[in-house]
Amino acid sequence: MPDKSSPSLGELESLVLLAVLRCDGEAYGVPVREEIRRRAGRSLTLGTVYKTLMRLETKGLLTTTISDPEPRRGGRRRKLYRLSTPGRRALQRTLATLDRMAKGLTVATSGR
Amino acid sequence: MTARPPRLVEWLLSRVLPRSEREFVLGDLAEQFAADLEHGPRAASLRYAREALAAAWHVHRTLPSLPSLPSLPMSFSDLARAAKTLRRAPGFTLATVLILAAGLGATTAIFSVVNPILLRPLPYAAPGDLMVVWEKDADGSNSRTGYATYVDLATESGTLESSAVMGSWLPTISGGTGDPERLAGERVSWRFFDMLGVKPVVGRSFVAAEDAPGQPRVVMLTYGLWQRRFGGDSSIVGNTVTLDGNAVEVVGVLPAGFDDVFEPGTQIYRVLAYGVTQPWACRTCRHLRMVSRLKRDVTRDAASAELNALSARIVGEHPTDYPATGINLVPVQQEVTRQVRPALMSVLVAAVILFLIAGANVTSLGLARAARRSEEFAVRRALGSGRIHLVRQLLSEGLLLAAGGGIAGVLIAWGAVRALVATLPMDMPRLAAVRLDAAAVLVAGLMALGLGVLVGLAPLGVVGGRHPFDAMRGAARLIGPRKHAARAGIVVAEVALALMLLVGTGLLARSLLTLLAVNPGFDPDHLLTLEIQSTGPRYDDDAAVWNYHDRVRDAVAAVPGVVSADVTTEVPLGGNFDGNGVRAQDKPLDNPELAPSGQRYAVSPGYLRAMRIPVLEGRDFGTADAADSAPRVAIVSASLARRIWGSERAIDKRIQVSNRDWRTVVGVAGDVRHTGLETNDLFGFYIPERQWPWSDAQVVLVVRTATDPVALAPSVRRAVRSIDPAQPITNVRTGSEMIATSTARRRLALTLFAAFGLVATLLSAAGVYGVLAGAVAERRREIGIRNALGATPRGILTLVLRQGLALAGIGLALGLAGAIALSRYLRAMLFGIGPTDPLTLTGTVMLLAGVALTACLVPAWRAMRVDPVTALRAE
Repeated sequence: MPDKSSPSLGELESLVLLAVLRCDGEAYGVPVREEIRRRAGRSLTLGTVYKTLMRLETKGLLTTTISDPEPRRGGRRRKLYRLSTPGRRALQRTLATLDRMAKGLTVATSGR
Repeated sequence: MTARPPRLVEWLLSRVLPRSEREFVLGDLAEQFAADLEHGPRAASLRYAREALAAAWHVHRTLPSLPSLPSLPMSFSDLARAAKTLRRAPGFTLATVLILAAGLGATTAIFSVVNPILLRPLPYAAPGDLMVVWEKDADGSNSRTGYATYVDLATESGTLESSAVMGSWLPTISGGTGDPERLAGERVSWRFFDMLGVKPVVGRSFVAAEDAPGQPRVVMLTYGLWQRRFGGDSSIVGNTVTLDGNAVEVVGVLPAGFDDVFEPGTQIYRVLAYGVTQPWACRTCRHLRMVSRLKRDVTRDAASAELNALSARIVGEHPTDYPATGINLVPVQQEVTRQVRPALMSVLVAAVILFLIAGANVTSLGLARAARRSEEFAVRRALGSGRIHLVRQLLSEGLLLAAGGGIAGVLIAWGAVRALVATLPMDMPRLAAVRLDAAAVLVAGLMALGLGVLVGLAPLGVVGGRHPFDAMRGAARLIGPRKHAARAGIVVAEVALALMLLVGTGLLARSLLTLLAVNPGFDPDHLLTLEIQSTGPRYDDDAAVWNYHDRVRDAVAAVPGVVSADVTTEVPLGGNFDGNGVRAQDKPLDNPELAPSGQRYAVSPGYLRAMRIPVLEGRDFGTADAADSAPRVAIVSASLARRIWGSERAIDKRIQVSNRDWRTVVGVAGDVRHTGLETNDLFGFYIPERQWPWSDAQVVLVVRTATDPVALAPSVRRAVRSIDPAQPITNVRTGSEMIATSTARRRLALTLFAAFGLVATLLSAAGVYGVLAGAVAERRREIGIRNALGATPRGILTLVLRQGLALAGIGLALGLAGAIALSRYLRAMLFGIGPTDPLTLTGTVMLLAGVALTACLVPAWRAMRVDPVTALRAE
C-alpha cells in the first residue's frame, strides 16, 4: 500500500535522487549533473541541480555532510548529499507506482 | 597554464550567493570550468557565465528565507509605462539612443585598444622588474649592445637577477607540408624565457650548455607556428625541422598566450650561441638588445647607478670601443609602448571628448523634451501623483534609453575593435590581446547607466519645482531662465568640445600633408620591391649568391613592362637598419666609435638609377665596378659627405667602413629618408655588392616598371621563382605602399580624429539648432507682437542670430583655450607645425562658426515668418 507519510516526487526530483544514489556518497553538484546527462541524456544547468537538491533537502529526503577540504593549497570543501530514510522510501514508492502503472502495457511510439 | 574562471563573474556571483552555499557552488562551477577548458578558454568562460547566472537565479528562488535581491527603485509597470511613452516619441528615442551609442561605442572601442597596450601589465612574471638595458650613444640616445659588453654587465652586476640578449634572425623553413617560407625569428640567449617566467607547453626551454659556439642548433616554436605548420603534433619536439637547408632540433613549444613584446609577430626562436671570441660578438658589434630582471628588492635607480659605474669601468678599459660612457635603463613596458603611446593617448582623449559631447547632447535633448512635457507633468501632479512617481517615471525612461544606447554602443564597439585590429600596424605590441573584454563592457555599462540617470533626472531641475497651476495656465511659454541657462550652458560646452576635436583633426591633417610633401629622396611611382632569399647549402659560397642575384635580375628584366631590376641589401622606409661607422682617411679620429654611422646599401650597379636617386657629383657605378678585381669604390650621401668633409670635395677621398677595406669615394648621391619621412638620419653609403666581404642572404629586388607595378607583380614573382623555386619571396610592395606604411600610424590617428570630429560637429550643430528652435517656438508670441508693432524682418533676424552666435562665440573661445591646453597630447604626433599653428586654429574656428551660423539660420528664418495674427490667436 502507498505510504502516506512520504511525499510524491516530480520527475526531476526522482532523477536527482537516483543520481545521488549512483554517486554513492560522493554526490555533489557536478557528478550529479553528469550522471543525469550520461544516463538520462538531459543537460541541466548546475543551478537547476542545486534548486532540486535544496528542495529535496528541505523536504527531508536528502541529508548533507560537509567534506574535508581537498588536500591541496586552496582546496575547497564540498557539500555531499545522501538519501535519508524518507528519501529512500519516497523513491521506492515512486518507482513502484510507475512500475504498477506500466505493468502489462506496451507503449507504442506511434498511433493510439 | 593556470586559466581561471572569469574573475568578474566569479566575484559578482559570490556577492549574490548566500554564505551557506557560496563555497560549494563556486567550487562546483570552478570544477566545471576546468573540465570545459578542453574546448578552449573562450567557450569555458561563456559556459561559466551562463552557469553562474542559472545558479544565482535558482539558488535565490529556492531558499525563501533569503532576503530578496535588492529591489530596483522602480517597478515593472514603471518601465512598461516608460517604454510606451518613448514609443510615442520615436524621433527623440532614436536620436538619444543613436547619440549614446556613438559616444559609448567610440569610447569603449578605443579603451579596448588602449587598455592592453598601454595600461595592463605585460604578460610576464613580475613585469615591473623587467628592464631594457641600452648603451648610451655619443648624443645620449639609446644604442644596442655588443655581446662582449653584455657578458661583462650580466656577470659583474649585483643588482640584476638575470639577463638575456636577443638579435634578429630570418630563417627559411622548408620540407614537410607547405611551401618554403621565410619566418620571423629571434636568436635569444638561453635564459630569455626563464627570465620572462614563460614555460613551454611541450618540451623544454633552452639550457646553458646549448648557448655556446659549436653546439648543435636548437629552436623553440611559437604556438601559432606549431599549430599552422605542424598541426599541433607534439612529436615534433625532439625531432628536426629544416631551416636554411640545415636540420635543426625542436626542443620546445611556447604557450598559446605567449606574446613577445620586444619583437611582435616572432614565430621561432633559436638559441644565441655566441662566444666572446667570435668576430661578431665584439664590443662594437652593437646589434643585440639586452633585457634584464632586477633583483627583487633593487630599485631602478640603484641598478642604474651600479650599471653606470660598471660602464665607466668597462669604457675605461676599452676606450676606443665606445662612443660614450653610460647605460640607459628603461622599464620594458615604457620601452615597448614608447612609439605608440602618443597616437593612442591622443585618440583616447579624442574619444573621451566625443563621449562628453554625446552626454551633453542627450542631456540637452532630455531637457528640451521635459520642457515640452511640463504641462503633462503638471496635470499629473495636480491629479495627485507624487513627486516620487515623477522621479520614477523619468528615471525609468532614462534607464531604458541608456539600456538601448548601451547595447547598441557595445555592438558598435565590438565591430570597431575588429576593424581597428585589422587596421593597426602589425608591429604594434600586444595586438593579440586587443579585444572587447568584460572590463570594457562593464565600463560601457556603467557609463550608460550614469548617462541614463543624468538624462532621466536632469529635467527635474526644470519641471519639478514649478507650481502645477502656472504650468497649466501656459506660463511654460514664458521664458524660464533656469531652463535656458542649463541648455545654453550645454550648447556652449558642445561647441567648445567640438572645436577641440576639430583643432586636433586639423593639426593631424596638416602634419600628414606636410609629411607627404617631404621628398623621400627616391621616386616611389612605378616601383615594385620584393624581398628575396638565397638560403640553403647551394648558397654557402658568396659567388653563388651573387650569381643568383644576377640571374634573378636578368630574368626579371626580361619581363615585359619591366624597365630595370636591381638588388640592394636594404631600401629606404623598409624598416631595416644596417648602420656602419664611416671613417675618412684624411680626418682621423681619436676614438673610431665617434665616426658618423651611415646606412649600408650593398647594391647591384644600376640601383641608384632604378630608384631615381640623383648622383650629384662624380659618377654612378658601372658594370666594371661589379668585377671582383675592380678597385674598391663607394658613393656617399650628400649629408654624410658634408658631415665628414664640410665644404671640401668628397670625390677621390678614401673611406673605411666598419674597419674593413679602404675604398675611394667616386660619387655623391642625393639624400634618402631611411627610417621615416619625419626623421633626419640622412647618412648613407652605397657599395657594389661584390665588393663587400660577404654576401647577404636576404636582399631587396628593386623593379622599375613602365606600367602599373601591382599588375606586374605576379609575372615578376614567376620570373624570380623560375631561377630557384625553393626560395621564398616576401614583402612585395609598391613604392607608394612603402610611403603609406611609413605614415600608417598618423593616418590611423587622423582617420579616427576626423570621424570623431565629424560626429562632434554634427552634434554641436544639432545642439545650437535645438536651443534656438526651442527659444523661437517659445517666443512666438513676443515675436508676433514685435512684428505687429512694425519690427523689420532684418531686426527679427538679428535678434535671433545674436542669441545663437553669442552661445557659439563663448563656446569657440572656451574651445580654443581647451584645444591649446590639450595640444601637448598631440605634440609628438605633429610634423612641421606647432601645436598652436595659427592657420589650423583660424581655419577650424571659422569652419565651426560657419556650421553654427547655418544652424542658427533655420530658426531665425522661421522667426522672421511668424505671422502676428496666428501667433496671438494661438494663445
